[in-house]
Amino acid sequence: MDYKHNIRNMSVIAHVDHGKSTLTDSLVAAAGIIAQEVAGDVRMTDTRADEAERGITIKSTGISLFYEMTDEALKSYKGERNGNEYLINLIDSPGHVDFSSEVTAALRITDGALVVVDCVEGVCVQTETVLRQALGERIRPVLTVNKMDRCFLELQVDGEEAYQTFSRVIENANVIMATYEDPLLGDVQVYPEKGTVAFSAGLHGWAFTLTNFAKMYASKFGVDESKMMERLWGENFFDPATKKWTTKNTGSATCKRGFVQFCYEPIKQIINTCMNDQKDKLWPMLAKLGCTMKSEEKELMGKALMKRVMQTWLPASSALLEMMIFHLPSPSTAQKYRVENLYEGPLDDQYANAIRNCDPDGPLMLYVSKMIPASDKGRFFAFGRVFAGRVSTGLKVRIMGPNFVPGEKKDLYVKSVQRTVIWMGKRQETVEDVPCGNTVALVGLDQYITKNATLTNEKEVDAHPIRAMKFSVSPVVRVAVQCKVASDLPKLVEGLKRLAKSDPMVVCTIEESGEHIVAGAGELHLEICLKDLQDDFMGGAEIIKSDPVVSFRETVLEKSCRTVMSKSPNKHNRLYMEARPLEEGLAEAIDDGRIGPRDDPKVRSKILAEEFGWDKDLAKKIWCFGPETTGPNMVVDMCKGVQYLNEIKDSVVAGFQWASKEGALAEENMRGICFEVCDVVLHADAIHRGGGQVIPTARRVIYASQITAKPRLLEPVYLVEIQAPEQALGGIYSVLNQKRGHVFEEIQRQGTPLYNIKAYLPVIESFGFSSTLRAATSGQAFPQCVFDHWDMMSSDPLEAGSQASTLVADIRKRKGLKEQMTPLSEFEDKL
Amino acid sequence: MELEANYEIASTADFIHTRNFTRIALQFPDNLLKDSIRIVRALRAKLRLLRDSDGDNKDVGLFVMADTTYGSCCIDEVGASHIDADCVIHYGHTCLSPTTKLPAFFVFGKASIDISKCVENLSKHALTNDKPVLVLYGLEYAYAIPHIREALTEASTSCVSGSKLEINFASVICSVINPAEDHKSIHGSAGGSTTNESFGKEAGTRYAIGGLNWNIPKGHRMEDYLLFWIGSDNSAFANVVLTFNGCEIVRYDATEDSLVTDVSQQLRILKRRYYLVEKAKDANIIGILVGTLGVAGYLDMIHQMRELITRAGKKAYTLVMGRPNPAKLANFPECDVFITVSCAQTALLDSKEFFSPVITPFEAMLAFNRGSQWTGAYVMEFRDLISSLPVEVRDQSEARFSFIKGGYIEDFDQQDTVIGKEDNEGALALANATEKALKLNDGNLNSVIKGTAKSGAEFFLSRSYHGLEINGDSSPEPYVIGRSGKASGYEDEKSKQES
Repeated sequence: MDYKHNIRNMSVIAHVDHGKSTLTDSLVAAAGIIAQEVAGDVRMTDTRADEAERGITIKSTGISLFYEMTDEALKSYKGERNGNEYLINLIDSPGHVDFSSEVTAALRITDGALVVVDCVEGVCVQTETVLRQALGERIRPVLTVNKMDRCFLELQVDGEEAYQTFSRVIENANVIMATYEDPLLGDVQVYPEKGTVAFSAGLHGWAFTLTNFAKMYASKFGVDESKMMERLWGENFFDPATKKWTTKNTGSATCKRGFVQFCYEPIKQIINTCMNDQKDKLWPMLAKLGCTMKSEEKELMGKALMKRVMQTWLPASSALLEMMIFHLPSPSTAQKYRVENLYEGPLDDQYANAIRNCDPDGPLMLYVSKMIPASDKGRFFAFGRVFAGRVSTGLKVRIMGPNFVPGEKKDLYVKSVQRTVIWMGKRQETVEDVPCGNTVALVGLDQYITKNATLTNEKEVDAHPIRAMKFSVSPVVRVAVQCKVASDLPKLVEGLKRLAKSDPMVVCTIEESGEHIVAGAGELHLEICLKDLQDDFMGGAEIIKSDPVVSFRETVLEKSCRTVMSKSPNKHNRLYMEARPLEEGLAEAIDDGRIGPRDDPKVRSKILAEEFGWDKDLAKKIWCFGPETTGPNMVVDMCKGVQYLNEIKDSVVAGFQWASKEGALAEENMRGICFEVCDVVLHADAIHRGGGQVIPTARRVIYASQITAKPRLLEPVYLVEIQAPEQALGGIYSVLNQKRGHVFEEIQRQGTPLYNIKAYLPVIESFGFSSTLRAATSGQAFPQCVFDHWDMMSSDPLEAGSQASTLVADIRKRKGLKEQMTPLSEFEDKL
Repeated sequence: MELEANYEIASTADFIHTRNFTRIALQFPDNLLKDSIRIVRALRAKLRLLRDSDGDNKDVGLFVMADTTYGSCCIDEVGASHIDADCVIHYGHTCLSPTTKLPAFFVFGKASIDISKCVENLSKHALTNDKPVLVLYGLEYAYAIPHIREALTEASTSCVSGSKLEINFASVICSVINPAEDHKSIHGSAGGSTTNESFGKEAGTRYAIGGLNWNIPKGHRMEDYLLFWIGSDNSAFANVVLTFNGCEIVRYDATEDSLVTDVSQQLRILKRRYYLVEKAKDANIIGILVGTLGVAGYLDMIHQMRELITRAGKKAYTLVMGRPNPAKLANFPECDVFITVSCAQTALLDSKEFFSPVITPFEAMLAFNRGSQWTGAYVMEFRDLISSLPVEVRDQSEARFSFIKGGYIEDFDQQDTVIGKEDNEGALALANATEKALKLNDGNLNSVIKGTAKSGAEFFLSRSYHGLEINGDSSPEPYVIGRSGKASGYEDEKSKQES
């Protein structure tokens, strides 16, 4: 643990059902935590009952493994190392898109990623998403083509066909990775001939890289290993008849691709021999390969025998671990280039340097990326990674929360670490201290950390926090919860507090109407959260949940039909405003933070002028963004020569923040509206144009201008990806039609009967979509939904009886507002 | 004469006469103002009659008070002392809050009610329900209660099944309130919702709310009763619903002759209040609104609130502004929340129009006392809170979780006081403020996010406009001719519109 060069922090990422957890098992088995025989069945990292039951991973789970390499295996390792013992901190992550926040949390604290891809299904949506996330965090990937056993047993494809499939899978992955070319990280693409791609069968616990075979054949052919590896992949053919290597298929029957000849065929042969129980043939073959079987193992038959033989011959752990140790960076290597991504403060201060050098004697820099429920109810471990310094039991640490601002005391605590723990899957081990480069779980800080935080030493008052994680999903689906028995409310409050901690994505808030809201990324995510809430965090007290609710946004379609005016309560001040939609893409640019209140005005006006066609001078007259001062709406000053205007600016801004948070239609947030202050008439006495007069007036005039600019509702839309065989397509289309979805891409996956369908689906229609789809396609289609964009609803909410107006009425009713919208005349005044 | 009966001229005159008051203030709410002249005339005539029979010729001054500064349900003692009055006659809807200085006589007025229909509704509903019934009513129906009670006993004797009915009536405390020497001593008799005291021979729990009181025998809880409210859906009713939110409540509307069983609107209010409490927890600057100058004990309450807020490490400002409205409150955008100290029936101010929420002292206690929890119990009368000792601030073993923000929020000042920098406050406050002012003000947009500033001064510092700039361009502005005309349209604008 102290040898930072001998540590590898890595996460296992993949699409759902590509075999992450199963593969992880075989690695765990190698470290002796579980028996080889059951590896692949235990799913060591699926610690929760519902995970085991559903067969999916829900929470990411860390495991620390000690692994000893042989000298021989390490002889070609060029990097720094201290001895042969390696510590591998491995995090198994969920593959379902609803839980991708867990993946984000895992990636933050690791340096490398093992990308698992099903050799038949290939690179899927979630593979792509997590891969992009990983590369965004500067995490070096290695690839394993998993479920090889399917090739041999299920599909029984021949060598050349299999090769084509594999190379396509690798190519697809490389296409994604190629877009992340990064001078510091170097080439992140994976190449089988360089040993960064493995071929594995997680279920059977075997795997190989070309290195394995290259070693085997190198001596036989009298070439060195690297040369041999190159020959085993790509356009290299070998004809045993002539014993010649060529770069083209000579057309002779015996001429085969190197990979097929030397890797695929031998495996196929062994497997077939095992499956047919031709033991008499098997033993000599194994002897040739240098494998010895124990006598009791020789009794096994069929599949069990095959599994055992393959595990002995090509143990998954050694192939994969070797690949990780050789090709994934150690913390000290990785932190050199990751420091830029990680540290918020100046990159030349002592904290940045300590992270860069992975300095165990430097100041403590620890990032808590998630909270893990402990076995005693209600407490949590803070799980994270030590980037610099060391953390020990009893150490007093400064906790900088996500809202911490350097130099202020907001969101800052000083507390002692009660215990430092290393995670070993289902059990934990308490240790004295943990030096940098490792993952660690801390006890005793859970009452000060909601989801994540940066920890430093108590006295390091000028340290900046480590940058907050950016999630690829957002909590768009919400339910209101209340307790069945009114007196359980304190339990509910406590439970929600814990729920908020236990998941990086879930948000527990309260509505204006006093209802408690739980928001999650998708239906499944919410289902799991609510189950946790009731069973684990509330001690089984019953809760009532509402139907899922989707939040909408309010926008406008056109510029206001006229300049509207509102008078202040004392009638002495008048504000004139117009609303217009923001240019296309501008709202998204504000969302992404490309344009925001903290920009340099010059830079901002340049972007606005060049990309969105704004007038340069106008761009300088943006008063504010909103809601919450960062939202995708703005107020622009279009007045000319108005006295005292600067005095009321703060009041107008305050009124705008208020109004943009609760739009005129249904008190939903506004989005993509630009309010132009056209003219202002103010009273000459300062007291008569104070906040009391202007704030309510600003709010009213903003509402009036919104209503006169053809207001519309925006609804959230999912991007749905479905993979299904051809015969299921009809069912998919009909379900999508029925749910107002539309398909915009349909591609057949090369070499498979599978189709990849991409569609847009309104979030509000997505409830029950999975199950309907499964029913309509007899279980052949499995959708993955990610929030994609806001889509304008074409119907006019002001027109009685339209779809949008019913929706508005529903929302207002739910919020306890008057069902009728406040008419324009309430907001607009006549001269 | 209807007026005399309706406004109880005779008994009023009697009250004044027997107590020898000479300067009397008559307080009217706006809706009864139209009758004021006639009442004064009738009252004066009656008093003259009484005086003549007694033979003394002291002059009695009657003064009409209207448009009170605070809620018209409370006695406006300040207004009355302007004319040096020695008693107040209050007309119309009232909260019967005790007074501090002046004796008061209440005329509730008499609203029309069809007794037989009311009884019919009452007995019918009582039969469908196996809970005992407790009848509460708006004070304007107080006169009719004896008749209803009578009619009910008649009905139940004539009808066989009626014998099983158990119907209790609340009684009106009295229509005269004398100022108490010590407001705490009246606590048991006039205010309070759950004061335990042995009352006469029967031991039980005594409840009082909004001028009504009743007893519940021992072993019964309020939740066991069905509340039957006679009257309109006004603040008094809301008060009852919120206070007894665990009870089943039915309202009989006398003017429409209909039974309203759905009180979800009121319960929705309760939830909304819960939200406001959660919101108040995030507040840093709190404005205390003085909502009454008459209700006994208001000063103690204000002091208690101030103390509570300072103890919670927040900043309090006391504001006196008469009846609060959105425009007045928005003049203090730095306040994140307002607490209004007023009588129970005017305390619930909730309107979306308010820039910052307005909460009651009870809610403030929930919000600012660490460790106190929303249990569903609700207290409207602030007098019940004075005696209730503040919950001991629990050991801070956990940061505070904010449901508005969905995460842990620590009130930074509180941490300071815990660490023990309290004494620095005075000396360093100025230095800190200056330091902040000198900081590069990169994001003056922050100013408008509510709840970021810790004191009024800091809030003003972060605003983009700081008042006249002394060091700015001081060259004199050229002389210009200003606007003339009315605010609804100045002269130059009018011509613009016409052209």
